[in-house]
Parts: sequence; structure tokens; C-alpha cells
Amino acid sequence: MANFSVEIVTPTRVITEENISYLRCPGIDGSFGVMAEHAGAIIALAVGEVKITESGKDKFIATSGGFVDISKEKVLLLLETAEHADEIDKKRAEDAKKRAQDRLKQKNGFDMSRAEAALLRAINRLQVASR
Amino acid sequence: MASLKDIRNRIGSVKSIQQVTRAMKMVAAAKMRKAQERMEQARPYADRLKSEILTLLPDVDRSLLELLDVREIKRTAIVVITSDRGLAGSFNTNIIKRAEEEIAEFGKENVDLFCIGRRGYEYFKNRNYNIIEDHTDFWAELDYNHSIKIGNGIISHFTSRKVDQIRVVYNEFKNVMVQEIIAETLLPLTLDDDAQIESTERIYEPSKELIIKSLIPLDINVQIWRYLLESFASEQAARMVAMENATLNAGDLIRDLTRQFNNARQAAITTEILEIVGGAEALKQE
Repeated sequence: MANFSVEIVTPTRVITEENISYLRCPGIDGSFGVMAEHAGAIIALAVGEVKITESGKDKFIATSGGFVDISKEKVLLLLETAEHADEIDKKRAEDAKKRAQDRLKQKNGFDMSRAEAALLRAINRLQVASR
Repeated sequence: MASLKDIRNRIGSVKSIQQVTRAMKMVAAAKMRKAQERMEQARPYADRLKSEILTLLPDVDRSLLELLDVREIKRTAIVVITSDRGLAGSFNTNIIKRAEEEIAEFGKENVDLFCIGRRGYEYFKNRNYNIIEDHTDFWAELDYNHSIKIGNGIISHFTSRKVDQIRVVYNEFKNVMVQEIIAETLLPLTLDDDAQIESTERIYEPSKELIIKSLIPLDINVQIWRYLLESFASEQAARMVAMENATLNAGDLIRDLTRQFNNARQAAITTEILEIVGGAEALKQE
């Protein structure tokens, strides 16, 4: 089976992954998979987890959004944040989750859509961390 | 004239201050280099994002993009970026002065403030300015999540039409000796679409319009990241220079005090010899 390379670019670092057989991304309209020889595309990503399969082993990365640029040469993931499962600070994510939930309960004084987005991000990070 | 012991004590305390200022200078230099490295690291992401937005822009109806929306300016929000700590020369004073000039231009009552950094926040809070959000005590552990948080606040303040433009006042890092204060408009975002980038045949999911809509806030966040890093590097450079000067001044002071000390010591010895000679003379005459 053909493999391809994935480049993950974030504001704080660049990660290159070689010999990838499968990549799953959290698109805005739902998750989708990418394999070698995919047609060129630009796809916007939402908060979620990215799964990278390299020689049978899966790696999970939590992201808060960005986009993926698929071209013949490689797959470029431009992500605002990218954290491997073992890099996630679970306590901070728990705190963020609680804070967002409190704000949603109080309902006044806070920007609801922002609290919801924060909650979503915290839950996502916890989920990836437990992988 | 101060006694020998007093002078010796003063020399001791000036020396220990000099050690502290020298250490602070080295710490500031290390932090400044780190900030510069982070600016470099952000570049591939920022450039890639920008070129993607500019590629898509010609195919999208600009009026649908609310962050590009130019409105008549009735209210302005100003983001003032200062540091949390002092001892950085005139770094904070200058930025606050510039921010006040900006505010005066629109009138205090027409301006909402986003204060980044404790120094600016305390200054404007004590003078009853209209502060919408403050972000303080985060510089020591600065990471990208801060710019996302700040960006979200700014974007929602603009899109909810509470203000018609967002300006940022920050220090731009030129080099160690020069930091320039910049005041620029962040929102509405200006994008030049005359940049000709050839678009290749690609699939766009969900649509060009939705992609660009989700990319523009990312661009705002990365710009804020740049502001934060520029300001952080400037702060450290200003502190480095201030501490360098303090160390040199302490050196001068130690030299002067040592001279004073030696004078006093010599005077004491001379007096002692005079006394001995006087005593010996007196004995001889008997």
C-alpha cells in the first residue's frame, strides 16, 4: 500500500511525519479519512482529533481547528494548536471544562458562544488525552 | 565625613545590587532570544495561512466576510500591550503615553480598552477608563492559547458591533537598542487582493466561502501572537539596556566610594602618624 507524508504546521512548531498510510481529520461537516493519491483539496477543520496511522500504529493529536491542504506531494495540516495525547495537561483541561460549564450555567455576563467553544475544546483535549 | 565603616557598608550594598542587575540583564537577554526564536517559528504558519486566504479571496464575495466589514467609526476599541513587571526603563511609560494620545483622538468615552499586561491595566483602571477585558500575569508562561483567548474576545467585540474598529498599540522589536511603538488597525482586516496567486484545481470543503470564514479568525490570532512576541522581546530588550546601565552606574559608584574610602583611610593613618610623632617629640623634650 502506498504511503504519504504529513506536515503539521502550527504557530509554535513544524512536525513532519513520514510513511503515513492513513490520516483522519475532523472536518467542519464531520470526520473524513485521507489515504495516498487523494485528489487535491482544501478542507476546513473544526475542534477535534487528528488520527495518524504509521505502519499500523495510531497517533492522536488534539486540535482546535485549522485546515488541511492535500496536494500530490504531501498533506499539509495547518493547525492553530496541535497536542499529542501525551502532551496534554489533563488538569488544565479539567479546569477549563469546569470554568466553561460554570459560565454556561450562570448564563449572564459571559459570552455564551465563547464559553461553548471553550467547553468543546476542553472536552476534546480530555478525550484525546485518554487515548 | 562618613566613617570608614559606613563607606565599607555602602560599597558592599552597591556591589550586591550590581550583582542583581547583572543577573537580571542576563536573564532578560536569554528571554529575548527565546522570543525571537518563537517569532521565527511562527513565520511558516503565518505565511501559509496568509497565502491561502489571499488565494481564496478573489472568489468570495467580500461583503459576506464580517471581519473585513468597514463601517462608519463611532466607537473604537484599543488593545494596549504592556508588561506585567517594571524595571524596564521607559518601556511601559512610553506605551501608555502613546495609548493615551490614541484615546484622546477618539475621546475617552468613545473608547473601549483591552489591557494586556498588568502595568497598563492598573494605570487605566485607576483612571476609570472603560476596560472591557484585561489579561495580566501571563507573560511568564506565554503560549499560543493566550493569543487565541485574546483574539476570541476581540473578534466577538467587533462582530457584535459594539465597536467599529479595533486598534492595537504595541512595541515593535527592531533590535536590542531600538523598539518602535506602533499603533495600527487590526479590525476591520485589510487584505490586498492584487496579489496574484494562481489557484489550482482543488476540492473545497465545505465551500470556499466557509473556509475563508474560518481562516480569517486564525489569521487574527496569529497576528496577535506576533504582537505579543514583539512586545515581549521589546520588554526584555528594554530591561536588558536598563539593567546594563544600572550595572555601569553601580560600577561608577563603587569606584567613587572606593576613592572616598581610601581618602578616609589615608587621612586616618596620617592622623595616627601625627599623633605618634607628636607623642615622640613630646617625650624627647622631657
